[in-house]
Amino acid sequence: MAMIDTIYPQSTMREVLEAYPGAQRALFRRYHIGGCNQCGFQQTETLEQVCQRNGLSNVNEVWEHIKSSHDQDAKILIEPKELAEWLARDKTIRLLDVRSREEYEAVHIEGSVLMSQPTMQEILAEGTNTRPLVIIDHQGGQGLDAAAYFMGHGLSRVRCLRGGIDAWSQEVDSKLPRYRLG
Amino acid sequence: MNQKLQQKIAEAMANPQNMGELPGADAVGTVGNSQCGEMLRMWIKYKEDRGRKVIDQATFQSFGCETAIAVASLATELIKGKTAEEALSLKSEELAGELGPLPPMKIHCAELVQGALRSALEPETGNKSAATNASSQAPSLLDSFNQPKSGGVKVVFLDQEKQG
Repeated sequence: MAMIDTIYPQSTMREVLEAYPGAQRALFRRYHIGGCNQCGFQQTETLEQVCQRNGLSNVNEVWEHIKSSHDQDAKILIEPKELAEWLARDKTIRLLDVRSREEYEAVHIEGSVLMSQPTMQEILAEGTNTRPLVIIDHQGGQGLDAAAYFMGHGLSRVRCLRGGIDAWSQEVDSKLPRYRLG
Repeated sequence: MNQKLQQKIAEAMANPQNMGELPGADAVGTVGNSQCGEMLRMWIKYKEDRGRKVIDQATFQSFGCETAIAVASLATELIKGKTAEEALSLKSEELAGELGPLPPMKIHCAELVQGALRSALEPETGNKSAATNASSQAPSLLDSFNQPKSGGVKVVFLDQEKQG
């Protein structure tokens, strides 16, 4: 995996994304790059080339945005133990599981609900910030996208479980079995 | 994107106006491109003003780039006090208001806002079709989170694997 301190604007997008998994989300959110085939990029392109192709003259500004978004992502994350303590004192927290139904039925954190269209509509209809929302995924790879989705809809009390349910199994509740997708 | 525009977008993003669902809205419009992950929904509430039906309040929810959110924020302020016809006559560059002319790669962000507005403001029959679209478009974003669900996911417990 590429290390953060070895990544530069001249690095390929593959290296950038390895070091900053949220880079695509950051690029799309501000510059509309990387959302679909039309605005996408090749993993072999350098960040500099991607900027040039999209009319962004200041590659350093884009680079700073990626790094700053990475720091913001870190602030959205909540440690498993911190969440366990928070749950013990705040019963209003909504745990939203964004994994597949099969995974949810195999193992889930008590009190969590599976993401579904009605659930999503209920959360959005509930208003902006009535209840804290914590997103749970398998290993922390997809939760931030879901968190960004809800934050994009104006919800500000959104967190994402660092490492997903896998980290929860290891650090909080070992009775929940760990798994892989076959 | 030039620095001045970026600054204006940053200002609009720092304090976005009219974000979130509007309870008791008279109309709702949604426009979206699920492939890009962009979606913008707009709610409108009317009031009577000297015999005219004008927009009392407009709000939006958006998933998309910051420019779309900034334009929506400005546009929902701009259309207050206007009739539906007056609001519909606004061009996308007018909706962008003080952001000024948008660069070519950002014009579609303003068009997204214009599309949501049209979806919400067009006559009742238009609104009904927009609502239908809304319910079919919004889940498509959800689908992106749920992609593995349709693929027949198989869960293999690690401890059973070790025992095996």
